[in-house]
Amino acid sequence: MAGLGQTLGRAATWPLTLAARAVDPPLRAWQRRTGTGGMAAVFLAPNLLIFSVFVLVPLVLNFAYSMTGGTGILLGQRPFVGAEQYARLLECQDYTRPITCREDQFWTAVGNTAQFVIFQVSLMVVVSLITALILNRDIRGRSFFRAVFFFPVLLSPVVVGLIWRWILQRQGLLNLIMVKLGLEPEVWLNDRVYAFAATIGVSTWAHMGFYTLILLAGLQAIPRDLYEAAEMDATPPGRVFWRITLPLLGPNLAVVLVLALIRGVQIFDEAYVLTGGGPGTSTLYLTQYIYESGFASLLREPGLAAAASILMGAVLVVLTLIQLWLSRRAEGRKAR
Amino acid sequence: MGRIVLDGITKSFGATQVIHGIDLEIEEGELAVFVGPSGCGKSTLLRLIAGLDRPTSGRIEINGRDVTRASAADRGLAMVFQSYALYPHMTVRQNLSFGLENTRMPKPEIAERIDEAGRMLEIGELMERRPTQLSGGQRQRVAIGRAIVRNPTAFLLDEPLSNLDAELRGTMRAELARLHARLATTMVYVTHDQVEAMTLADKIVVLRGGRIEQVDTPLGLYNRPQNLFVAGFIGAPNMNFFRVRATGGQAELPGGLSLAVPGEGEVTVGIRPQGLHLATGDGPALEVVIRLVEALGAETVVHADAADGTPVVTVLSGQPSLAAGQPIRLAFDADAVHFFGADGMRLEA
Ligand SMILES: Nc1ncnc2c1ncn2[C@@H]1O[C@H](COP(=O)(O)OP(=O)(O)OP(=O)(O)O)[C@@H](O)[C@H]1O
Ligand SMILES: [Mg+2]
Repeated sequence: MAGLGQTLGRAATWPLTLAARAVDPPLRAWQRRTGTGGMAAVFLAPNLLIFSVFVLVPLVLNFAYSMTGGTGILLGQRPFVGAEQYARLLECQDYTRPITCREDQFWTAVGNTAQFVIFQVSLMVVVSLITALILNRDIRGRSFFRAVFFFPVLLSPVVVGLIWRWILQRQGLLNLIMVKLGLEPEVWLNDRVYAFAATIGVSTWAHMGFYTLILLAGLQAIPRDLYEAAEMDATPPGRVFWRITLPLLGPNLAVVLVLALIRGVQIFDEAYVLTGGGPGTSTLYLTQYIYESGFASLLREPGLAAAASILMGAVLVVLTLIQLWLSRRAEGRKAR
Repeated sequence: MGRIVLDGITKSFGATQVIHGIDLEIEEGELAVFVGPSGCGKSTLLRLIAGLDRPTSGRIEINGRDVTRASAADRGLAMVFQSYALYPHMTVRQNLSFGLENTRMPKPEIAERIDEAGRMLEIGELMERRPTQLSGGQRQRVAIGRAIVRNPTAFLLDEPLSNLDAELRGTMRAELARLHARLATTMVYVTHDQVEAMTLADKIVVLRGGRIEQVDTPLGLYNRPQNLFVAGFIGAPNMNFFRVRATGGQAELPGGLSLAVPGEGEVTVGIRPQGLHLATGDGPALEVVIRLVEALGAETVVHADAADGTPVVTVLSGQPSLAAGQPIRLAFDADAVHFFGADGMRLEA
């Protein structure tokens, strides 16, 4: 019987053995030529290839497109126009009134995104901090609640958007409940303010578990005896929070803030599924503008979309650098 | 101010009981030391006194006031943690003032108290530094300073010196003794270091498995240990024990040396290593064979085995010329001998 098992096992690994035999001679030859240092390149190559094909090349292409005009799809069919697309996007009489800008939709999206980011990030930081503080206490069913708050993070953004559309639409769950309770139903997603608030609320709900987790880790890293020392010092709970918890959570809060900012600027999928940018353009955010002007509108303008995405990318690069700097500083502080 | 009374204290964590009925009085101004093996409940007992944990049953009194249900904040005690528990994001000055600010003490008085503590502990120049910029010994001083400025009814210290190296521990120990003499405040001190316990304590509380084994002065414990555990725990090297059978008030040590014993049947004879010395003359003596010689200069520690294999340790003064494998004869004075009955309790001679 053992013999059969061994045979089967060998049969199962046979293809692997074959493959290993096949790649062995060229790898050996390569190593003889380049030494062990050269082997690093071999193992990094697949990842570098993927990175190039899906990130680096598109990035360069995108930059190239942003310098071209017309409605052609292939780069060869598009005339070079230099920085004209950027000039178009930036041309404006009064930046506070998108209607006076040449590409008014772009500036509407910029304004909406800015408002979204301000409200959503503030809400996100506060809500995830409160949740983390509660989950950090010795409450009954703590692991259950941790799972509950983290669960939405696992959902696809499209699913999140769909769920909430079913809840908020004209004949959705919320209105059903309101009617049952004898209240006037409301067309939530057709109201500028409600729709805007819905995109904020839904995206916060969908991602807060992630930020809560970061803050929870930070809270748990604060030594318990500091709280006991504060207790011996007769410190009121409010003062414990402001003078001990918050300062020691600072690095984690900073990371949460910047990560939420970066993801806030990129807001797209769940908001697009939920409101489609409407009503009107009241929830039209930057990524949706880029997507529509480049791919989905009647008059496709890949050059304009590329330029807009480069501008947005510049903002994100700045935010990412801040985030890297902050997390490095936090690590440095921990190491000390 | 600062008399602490524990009355029938027990503590269970879930189903495990770790403190089994402690009755203890710590007098005003006294320095009481809790010693005992790891896990015997020293820290737990201290935390119960501090109010960081609540006893399962029993009463705690401070200055005649029942504080069993009072919060830590209400007890007027200050604690020095083993880890120091300094606030890492605050300067030394902020660490010291933090607790005082909670009491709404006027600023000038806070500054005055901090200055005084700074002078007393020689941390005046460190005031603007953060804990990460201090050495272990300096952190220790700041932790003590944070307790001192509060002017507490009593200090609670949980192994405050255990994170320091041997030399610094010696210095800080002397400093703590000086501080206690100067402040004359009650202190409860947890340690597993015998030397700390012996040198600092007015009163030593020996704990084992959540029970008190003996409470006495350091010399009282050393000279009259009430049971085998205390006898073996206090004093270094450990006391030598010989198990003998006593009949008619007499028993024989391994090797044939007979001595008068206050008991019958199974008796343990205990002799401290310092109580044994080389026998002179041919009279009856304890005959052993040397296994190991540790010459420390001023004294020599000799590890040997009696005829029946019982290990015997003796500390001889000076540098006698001895070698492993050599048989020697040991003598002792009658008053250096302790007797314990079959139940492990002391038998009075
Ligand atoms: N929070 C807790 N939950 C459960 N068991 C605990 C808890 N705290 C302490 N114990 C148990 O109580 C016993 C006494 O612990 P304690 O910390 O008081 O010992 P200790 O004498 O201070 O030991 P050490 O010298 O190692 O510090 C130990 O067996 C420990 O496992
Ligand atoms: Mg302890």
